[in-house]
Amino acid sequence: MPREVEVSVNERAFIQQALQENVRLDGRAFDAFRPLELTFGDEYGVADVQLGKTRVIARISVDVTAPLPERKFDGIFQIVAEFSPMASPAFEVGRPTDAEVILSRILEKAIRRSNALDTESLCIIAGLKCFALRADVHIIDHDGGLIDASCIAVMAALQHFRRPDVVVEGEKATILSVREREPIPLSILHQPLCVTFSCYEDGERILIDANLAEEQVRQEEVIVTMNRHGEVCQVAKYGGATVEPLALLNCINMASQKVKEISKFIQTKLEEDAKKRDAGGLMAELSAENER
Amino acid sequence: MSVSATIILPGDEIPSSTLPQPTNKKKPLTLGPGLRHIPPDTIVTTVAGALATDTKKNAVWVEYNSGRYLPSAGDLVIATVNNSAAENFNCILTPNTPPATLPHLAFEGATRKTRPQLYPNSLVYARIFNAGKESSPELTCVDPSTGKSDGLGPLKGGTVFQISLGMARRLLAGRKGGVIVLEGLSEKVGFEVAIGRNGMLWVDGGNIKTTLVIGKAVQEVDEQALGEKGQKKVVERVLRGL
Repeated sequence: MPREVEVSVNERAFIQQALQENVRLDGRAFDAFRPLELTFGDEYGVADVQLGKTRVIARISVDVTAPLPERKFDGIFQIVAEFSPMASPAFEVGRPTDAEVILSRILEKAIRRSNALDTESLCIIAGLKCFALRADVHIIDHDGGLIDASCIAVMAALQHFRRPDVVVEGEKATILSVREREPIPLSILHQPLCVTFSCYEDGERILIDANLAEEQVRQEEVIVTMNRHGEVCQVAKYGGATVEPLALLNCINMASQKVKEISKFIQTKLEEDAKKRDAGGLMAELSAENER
Repeated sequence: MSVSATIILPGDEIPSSTLPQPTNKKKPLTLGPGLRHIPPDTIVTTVAGALATDTKKNAVWVEYNSGRYLPSAGDLVIATVNNSAAENFNCILTPNTPPATLPHLAFEGATRKTRPQLYPNSLVYARIFNAGKESSPELTCVDPSTGKSDGLGPLKGGTVFQISLGMARRLLAGRKGGVIVLEGLSEKVGFEVAIGRNGMLWVDGGNIKTTLVIGKAVQEVDEQALGEKGQKKVVERVLRGL
C-alpha cells in the first residue's frame, strides 16, 4: 500500500531550526499565504484554485430530484471530495485516507452546516421536486493547505454558478433552458472560508498556510472558518498539543483579516469574469433574478 | 561529448549524417536512452529532447528531462531509509519507484558488530549496485574493488531540495553539463553538496541561511532553465545578499 512520503530527519531538523530563527523555507512571513490564483471555467460553476503548488478544482452541478421526506421545503446540497492519485502517490481511489475524511468533514461543517447556501431557494414544489446541488472537489496537485484551497474553490464555484430558471404551474414544473431564460445565481447567505494554523514548539510559533513539508513537521493544526463579517463558523482541532486560549484568540483575529483579503480577491475575480461574459452589455436586461 | 542543438521528437528518424563519425572504425555504434534500432539500419527516437553524440565512444543518445526516475546501475542517488530488516535497510528513492535495498554490510569498514545504525527517514548517499526490471534495486555505499566509501554514506545535517532529473544529470556531468552556479558560489562560500540522480540535492552550508540560499539558487536555475549568463547573475545576487 502506498504511503505518504515522510520528510527525512534532516529536513525535519532543518525546518525546526529555521523556524527558531524565524525563517520559513520559502522566505514567506509567518502570517502570509502562498500566491493565490483563481480562474473560472467556460461553464458556470467551475473554479480552479492554485495556492502555491497546490491545485484544486471545484465543479458545481445541478439535478432535479424529490426532496428528502423530512425536509420537504429544502433542496439538496452535497459536497464530494476526491483525492486523485495524480496529486500524490499516497492517494488511492476508493480508499480514503484520514486527510480525505477530515477534509470532507471540515468542508461539510464549514459550508453546508453553516448555511452558506440557502437550500430553501432550491425547492421547486414542496415535497415533490427540488434542485439537488452537488459540489465536486478534485485535488489535482498536493503541496499542503488542501483545506484552505478546497474551501476557496467551493465558495468561488458556488458564487460563480448559475442554475436554470424554472416555471411552476400547479403541480407541473418546467425547467427553462439557457436559450429560453438566462440562468440565475444561487442565493448565498454568507461566504465562509477556512484558514489553517500550524503550531510548532508547543504553540510558540504559529504559521498560516503551511506547505507539505511544514505540515508534516507541525505538532498540531487549528482550522478556523470565518466569513468576511467576522463571524466564526467553526474552530476545528483534532488532538495534538494544547493551545493557549490567548493564542487561539490571536489566530481568530488573524483569520478574520485573511478571510477579508481572500473574500475581496474572490469578488474581484468574479467581477472580472462577469465583465468578460457580458460581451454586449446585455446581461442586466437578460437577468431573470428576483430583486429582493 | 557534444549536445547539438538538434531537437528531435518521438518517431523522428536519425539521418546517418548526424551519427557520430568514429575515429576507430571497428567500434560498434552505441545507442543510449531515447533511441531505438529498427533493423536493418533505421534509428528512430522514442522521446523528445536534444540529440547528443560522442565520437570517441561512438555513442549517441537523447538528452531529455523526464518526470519519473528509473533506477539504473551506477547512478548516484540520495536514498531515504524506510526501515531496517534483518540483513539490509529498505530505502526509498522516489515515491514512485519500488523500494531499494541497502545491505547492512555495504558501508566502509562495516562488520556485523560495527555496522551503522540508521533510523527511519534518515538520508544516505549511495550508488545503485544493480537494478533489473524484475528485481528491486540494490544500493551500496562502498566501492567493491577498493573497499573505500568515496564520499558515500549517511548524510548528517543540512537539508534536501527537489530538482528536476535533467538538472541532477547536468550537475553530475560537471563542466560539460553547463551548470556553473555551484562553482560560482563556492568561490566565496563554503558548503557541502550531494547530488542524487533521483532528483534530490542535499546541501549543508553550516547555517540555515547559507544552506537555503544555495538550494534556492540551484532550484531557480533549474526552474527558469538559465544559461551561463543568467547563472552568473544569480551567483552575483546571492553573494551580495550574504
